[in-house]
Amino acid sequence: MDFLIKYLPLVLNGFITTAEMTLFGVLMGLMLGILLAIGDLHGGKLISTIIRFYVEFFRGSPIIIQLFIFYYTVPSLLNTRIDGLTVGFLVFTLNSAAYQKGYIKGAMETVFEDQMTAALSIGLSKAQAIIYVILPQALRLVIPPWGNEFCSLTKSTAALLVIGVRDLTSAGKTIAGQSWRILETWTFIAIIYLIWISIVMKILDIIYEKVKIPGIEISA
Amino acid sequence: MLMECRNLWKTYGKIIAVKDVSLKIRESEIKLIFGPSGSGKSTFLRCLAMLTTPTKGDVFLRGECLTRPDVDLNKARARIGFVFQHIWLFRHLTALGNVELGIRHVLKLPKKESRERAMQALREVGMEQWASHHPAHLSGGQQQRVGIARALAMHPDIVLLDEPTSALDPELTGEVIDTLRDLAREGITMLIVSHEMPFAREVADEMIFFDEGAIIERGSHEHFFTNPESERAKRFMARLIKRTKRE
Repeated sequence: MDFLIKYLPLVLNGFITTAEMTLFGVLMGLMLGILLAIGDLHGGKLISTIIRFYVEFFRGSPIIIQLFIFYYTVPSLLNTRIDGLTVGFLVFTLNSAAYQKGYIKGAMETVFEDQMTAALSIGLSKAQAIIYVILPQALRLVIPPWGNEFCSLTKSTAALLVIGVRDLTSAGKTIAGQSWRILETWTFIAIIYLIWISIVMKILDIIYEKVKIPGIEISA
Repeated sequence: MLMECRNLWKTYGKIIAVKDVSLKIRESEIKLIFGPSGSGKSTFLRCLAMLTTPTKGDVFLRGECLTRPDVDLNKARARIGFVFQHIWLFRHLTALGNVELGIRHVLKLPKKESRERAMQALREVGMEQWASHHPAHLSGGQQQRVGIARALAMHPDIVLLDEPTSALDPELTGEVIDTLRDLAREGITMLIVSHEMPFAREVADEMIFFDEGAIIERGSHEHFFTNPESERAKRFMARLIKRTKRE
């Protein structure tokens, strides 16, 4: 596998793109997802309908098309240009938020009924109840689906190639094309994915165990 | 008058849950509501606590009308303690955390004071040595005592208790009843939905028989056990006495 050494910088760059795109997307998607879930549950009919359209768009269309739209269509409408990396961050955030909103909303609904009433009974406002009682429980329940979200996003970064951003898979494509050592190249790339995903999943597991609420357990 | 409701109604569409109920509770008084299940006792209690908005009628706490639209409901609820049948502790918090939450974020006391006051409330219900345990690691009776401490810690004007022992195993009701007895001795104003008759005889200033969303009859423990007037109360008491004897 000596030939790979030559390509290490390329692989490393691709990996960094994949990793930062995914982590950024999942984290920002979480924040936005929380807001969307709260908006959907408590924002009234209009807000909830808008959120539903948003979610359907991002879940119902391929990420490649979403990248195209935000790289070509949106900037041309606004008469501007946005670079590929920014579009990537944006689309991955919006896309992940659409999925995470579903997980968070489901978890909030599971926790909601009795805990909200109990919280109101001691004089907490609805907003305080969400912050101090509902979300701390709901977000713990969301950790396992969060792992799935991370996995699927990691593998979606290959789509970034269509707007000129090179991730780990793109790096593999280049190496395989130049070296013609197809089997070795893709095995190597696959191993990197595997190690990376395993490490993150392990970390999530540790976090989950750490913050687990006694008596409430769910299986991933 | 500490708490009062006038002509309170709660309807859900065509279903009438609470029908024209009026009630007064003085400082340090203990009243006990009993009656068949599904008779609207819980809904009535929730209306008083403003956890459900009454359809019609008014609720007053120390003369202040809580049913006016401009009332800060969160502030009002903080002054009314509520203990739930199914306890409903905050599952992610320890016993101490459960009791402390309201003091910290509603009364906005500093951290140290909040902690002391929460510990004091836990001490009152005999749960201070369990302060760091999560609800899942406590027995039902212990959980309910924490539930009572959570309500007490806010230093409410009145505590409403919705069948505080009926979800517990029979052998666990005793410790909760003991706790309530202590509160009665301390002069805490309480409105309790319960069928614990020996306890009622001991502490209740008045017993209220509730059926089909309305107050049917009121009187002392003795009154209900010797000569209830209404037909419905008679029938209910007969069933209750039969069941108590069987136990």
